[in-house]
Amino acid sequence: MFSQFETWYRDRHEYARKWKDRTGGKVFGCFCSYVPEEILVAANILPVRVLGSHEPQDVTEQHLFGMFCPFCRDVLAQGLKGRYEYLDGITLAQACIHLRQAYRAWEENVEHPFSYYLPHPMHVASPHAVPYLKEELKNFRKAVEEHTGVTLTDEDLDRGIRILNENRAAMHDLYELRKGPAPKVSGLEAMWVTVSSTWIDKEEHTAEIRRVLAEIDGRDKDFGEGTRLMFVGSENDDTDFLGMVEMVGATVVVDDHCTGTRYFWNQTPEMDDRIEAIAKRYVERPACPAKDHVVRTRFPHILKLAQEYDVAGVILIQQKFCDPHETDMVPLRSFLEENGFPCLFLEFDVTVPMGQFRIRVEAFLEMLMEEDLF
Amino acid sequence: MVTIGIDVGAKNAKILILKDGEILISKYRESGFDQAGVTTALLDETLAELKLTRDDITSICSTGAGRKAVTFANEVVTEVSATSRATFEMYPEVRTVIDVGAEEGRAIRCGERGKVEDFAINEKCAAGSGAFTEAMARALELTVEELGKISLDSSASVPMNAQCAVFAESEVISLLHANTAKQDIAKAIHDAIASRIVSMTRRVGLNKPIALVGGMARNVGFVHSLNAAIEDEVLIPDSPEMTAAYGAALIAAERAA
Repeated sequence: MFSQFETWYRDRHEYARKWKDRTGGKVFGCFCSYVPEEILVAANILPVRVLGSHEPQDVTEQHLFGMFCPFCRDVLAQGLKGRYEYLDGITLAQACIHLRQAYRAWEENVEHPFSYYLPHPMHVASPHAVPYLKEELKNFRKAVEEHTGVTLTDEDLDRGIRILNENRAAMHDLYELRKGPAPKVSGLEAMWVTVSSTWIDKEEHTAEIRRVLAEIDGRDKDFGEGTRLMFVGSENDDTDFLGMVEMVGATVVVDDHCTGTRYFWNQTPEMDDRIEAIAKRYVERPACPAKDHVVRTRFPHILKLAQEYDVAGVILIQQKFCDPHETDMVPLRSFLEENGFPCLFLEFDVTVPMGQFRIRVEAFLEMLMEEDLF
Repeated sequence: MVTIGIDVGAKNAKILILKDGEILISKYRESGFDQAGVTTALLDETLAELKLTRDDITSICSTGAGRKAVTFANEVVTEVSATSRATFEMYPEVRTVIDVGAEEGRAIRCGERGKVEDFAINEKCAAGSGAFTEAMARALELTVEELGKISLDSSASVPMNAQCAVFAESEVISLLHANTAKQDIAKAIHDAIASRIVSMTRRVGLNKPIALVGGMARNVGFVHSLNAAIEDEVLIPDSPEMTAAYGAALIAAERAA
């Protein structure tokens, strides 16, 4: 039922190349989920999130300091190894400095016709955040217009906003199915959907979700037997790890990842000023910890998800050396545990020690189910 | 009812046979590469010694890193739960147990009836484990037993980083070159491991009294350093390396009841 999403997840580059051949359009690589894709889609550009490949590599050492996170190294390695050679442009929305450095090294070492560093408010709770981002988005829009030679109209922006919002709504509907006691969607399937949404043509992706949603009532299996878990962390597209967690007796029912709910959770509102609407959407979306200061919106948001999806526990997925998430990890764990959600902390690298992690996950599940164990 | 717990660890496979709550026998040997073969031989030899057959066994529960290799086990449990369960049996009042084996150090917060409330495991590094002391003993040209004993002769406090087993070996060599006494280096090694273990234990809560299990509990130098670090004396069972196997046998009995 979800095989198309799995194929998209595995064959991301082949998909993008074929999309270019088929449409004659441009493809832009997006570093970070804060890139305003509405503007790119309005210009008929395919935005693709640049992620790593979970393989050891030896090409980034001269570009990135040793204690930069494994994700930014893995991302940069993809560029240096030529795996995104089809990109017409790259753009980074500022959130963390590790990824910014990966972007800078990519920009200096890999040729693309277009690159754009998009400054982005770090203090998103400030009343100045939306006006500030609005002005930056105007500059970004202008740069995209100059590159494509097309002046974007309000109708173009409306189309971009509509296409993004429809995809977000479809993923929301899919996540709704995971709230009940017998979810018809596994965590692994949901990860194929959400991660692939970051690089597949949004209209095509939305249509495939709608097709699945129309058929899912007739599905003859569910995932109600597993212990309900939530994943929380930065970027996470590690399907091998998630697959292992579900194989040993869990069902992952919700997440707070920038490749998951943080990416699609809120809609761009309808406003006369489309650019302001887009700015508002990215300022008000579930926050990355890099931007969640001084006012903290992230913790209550995560708690609400844990409660609504009725999880028994939370796996805290920490990319090694990811400073923003490391900042949150200690207080977040205490906060969740004080609110009745036990946590398992795991530190991730480009590859993970599956055997060791399996023991930890199984011990965690035993801990959550001990009434049955003893 | 006769039940068996088998703990296949990183270095040794341990077997413990329980009859109506009483320990009949416990044995161990190196688990090696052929964990399935070793555990099968260990089981058959131990049963033969007791003049028992497999038909006499109600249930077998495996645990440890190699627990999946015990294909004849009808129950499987992680070493975290098994250790917690056994600790409760031995020391019902203990709420914190530290388990240091060959390659892993663990701290477990136990609740009522031996329930695991929380646990922490050393991350991707053996610097707080038995393998680390073996490497350090080699660098000092001592056996692990000698390493433990001579550290008791030292009252010095030599700072040592010990974040990595390989770099720590370089540190030991540097200390030797600086004419630091072997017993002072031995103590520095045990202090460093104890510090790492206590730091990890604080993540789950350092609530006294504390039990220490696993093979490292036989290292007197480590125990001394650990006691100094927690400012108390840890409780150590007679066969600390058998704790997880004992817990597995207890869980097998409870599940079969």
